[in-house]
Amino acid sequence: MSTLDLFPSREAGQFGRRLKRPRGTRIPVYVVTGFLGAGKTTLVREFLNTPEGHGTAMVVNEFGTVGIDDALVRASADETVLLGNGCVCCNTRSDLQVALRGLVADRERGAIPHFQRIVIETSGLADPGPILQTFVSDRALGGEFHVEAAITLVDSVSAQETLHWSVEARKQVILADRLVVTKTDLASLPKIELLKDRLTDLNRHAAIETAVNGVIDPRRLFADRNGEGVAEERNTFVAEAAHSDGIGSFVWTETAPIAWDLYVRTMETLTALRGPDLLRVKGFVNVEGCAGPVVVQGVQHLMHPPVELQTWPDADRATRVVFITRNVPEQAVRDLFAAVRALAA
Amino acid sequence: MPASEAICSNFKLLAHHELGGFGGMGEGMAVQVAKDGRRIIWLAHESAPKNFTAVDVSDPCSPKMVVQTDLPQSFMRSNSLELTGDILAVAYQCQKVGQKPAGFELFDVSVPEKPKSIAFFDCSGPNSRGVHQLWFCDGEYVHMGAGAPDFKPTHPQDDQFYRCVDVRNPSKPVEVGRWWLPGTREGDNTPPPARHKAPALDRGNRAHNTNVYKQRPDRLYLAYIDAGMFIMDISDKANPKPIARWDNSPPYTGFTHTLVPLFERNLLIMTDESTADEAKDWPKLIWVLDGRDETNPVPIATCPLPPHETYAHRGGRFGAHNIFENTPSPHAWFSDQVIVGTFFNGGLRAYDISNPYQPKEAAVFVPEAPRGSPAGAIQLNDVFIDERAVVYTVDRFSGGLYILEMDF
Repeated sequence: MSTLDLFPSREAGQFGRRLKRPRGTRIPVYVVTGFLGAGKTTLVREFLNTPEGHGTAMVVNEFGTVGIDDALVRASADETVLLGNGCVCCNTRSDLQVALRGLVADRERGAIPHFQRIVIETSGLADPGPILQTFVSDRALGGEFHVEAAITLVDSVSAQETLHWSVEARKQVILADRLVVTKTDLASLPKIELLKDRLTDLNRHAAIETAVNGVIDPRRLFADRNGEGVAEERNTFVAEAAHSDGIGSFVWTETAPIAWDLYVRTMETLTALRGPDLLRVKGFVNVEGCAGPVVVQGVQHLMHPPVELQTWPDADRATRVVFITRNVPEQAVRDLFAAVRALAA
Repeated sequence: MPASEAICSNFKLLAHHELGGFGGMGEGMAVQVAKDGRRIIWLAHESAPKNFTAVDVSDPCSPKMVVQTDLPQSFMRSNSLELTGDILAVAYQCQKVGQKPAGFELFDVSVPEKPKSIAFFDCSGPNSRGVHQLWFCDGEYVHMGAGAPDFKPTHPQDDQFYRCVDVRNPSKPVEVGRWWLPGTREGDNTPPPARHKAPALDRGNRAHNTNVYKQRPDRLYLAYIDAGMFIMDISDKANPKPIARWDNSPPYTGFTHTLVPLFERNLLIMTDESTADEAKDWPKLIWVLDGRDETNPVPIATCPLPPHETYAHRGGRFGAHNIFENTPSPHAWFSDQVIVGTFFNGGLRAYDISNPYQPKEAAVFVPEAPRGSPAGAIQLNDVFIDERAVVYTVDRFSGGLYILEMDF
């Protein structure tokens, strides 16, 4: 029994009110990652100084050195929360949850200026996976916040080397929605092109932005892009498995509408069997009986409640879901869908 | 929060028009698509010297003023208007009883640049200030909160009651029905109703919004200021009968303003109006009522107000007022999931009522103080949404028209 049974509405679909965009009314969160020295603070500070940067609350995480970056951004951000010493993906995840809840509570009671987006600047060592998971696993946070984009900055001078030795750096690239190659004025063009090839190998779904002469308009990065990264990509399971820790990505596509029950049963089976290896799942599902696409998002065994959009963003009506997995190939997922469909038939 | 600070969250501002320096707007907004295809929004002014203004909003990003008319007397205000097809009905209220002209006027606006008067319906009288609000959505009847020459109230504040006027022949409007709260007319065999004790809060037992919808042409959704709200049976227009009444005051501070039914959802949305500066009548709210039994509406929630401490002293009024009323017009939006309302210095706010027990703020627009506003802060007064989902909202003093897009 739901409130829709008492108060039915033709406007509501099976997933409730149809939304204009995936985040609906939730507060957009931009997670900025990048290895030490990649230029995160510079980029964020430049964004805060633009008119579009007005109304931004910052959450800054420092690892080892307390307060240096915070001192840089506090002057311009409407509200800055500095998390304690420690990496945001590890022992301060609960701090992150507390900080985000505190920001919303303070905003609602008028204790801080109204903000309309949050930028989380992680420490260089952070694995973004657990941060992204926080927004799926914490019901209250997931209802209030929407990760609009994970933005990873990559330093063109030293990134090749860093990507070679650091698992965290690779995961920052693999899990990103937007990649930014920085310090291009300090590296040769061939070196930059080699780096971009490497980034594309690791993550074909993220848009790669390149700073020109070391400069990039930050407004390009902190903007809503409805359904980015799931529109046109193909299967790109990472070829260099030895250097990618078995992590790869692919786009599961289906042209015919899918019964929602079938999707749910398949995903329940998949998460029960391989939940820890589903690093990120996101995309549009063409669900039977729905006018717009149903937005699905998940991290590991946790799936965010689905939402239906009012309209498709383009002419393509195909289901397309990006899977970023560890040693779970596309064929295994396709086979699972086929098996569940056969059982249901 | 300083009045110079602006908030725009989940709305997108498309355009702002100051209406030629006469940006003090009332609570009448209606959209016409003219024969030449132009989309025109008609706006009532809050007070003299202007009567109404038409703005071409075919391109909502580039509004252009089409016409702006003057009132014949400085003591008049038009405040309310509605439009069906090419016929515009405009309410006229005077500052004092006995002043003229007080009533409503019908205009042919088939050529928007040249509104042509068709008829004037006189409501003036020794105890009447005229018409405060009217509803004209079916092309046949004007429903209104009005005084009348033959109506002597038991209290001067109770001079406006429900009247229904047949305008099927627009050149000869004829009253077909009326209803007033028993006890508010001299000669009633019921004692006069109780009044709010604080004089500043005694705003009258009188009609405000008088909404009728095509889904239930036999029902009138009547807001009656200090007497709460009524659901009325108007199947016999000559003899309206109350079906239900609900009044939140006391303990609240009165001024029931609008009652909107959400038919399929069996819900009712009711608003108060804040009328005192500095939020002295706080809290003024949007209420959600369970309307499954129309004889017994039950309040189940209110839409969360922004913080008192942030807005009360920002300048002017703070609290609920008009909401978009699902106006039965081919050029109006419809939603029973989202409520959009104006809150004076609290700006424009949208609420998601998918779960009517827990309305949730969905979007906020609080522009900075308009130039020349005596309140020193925005005072958003009314809102209309067209079928393209373009949102129009107006300032009460000087800001004029703001055009927005819902982004959620």
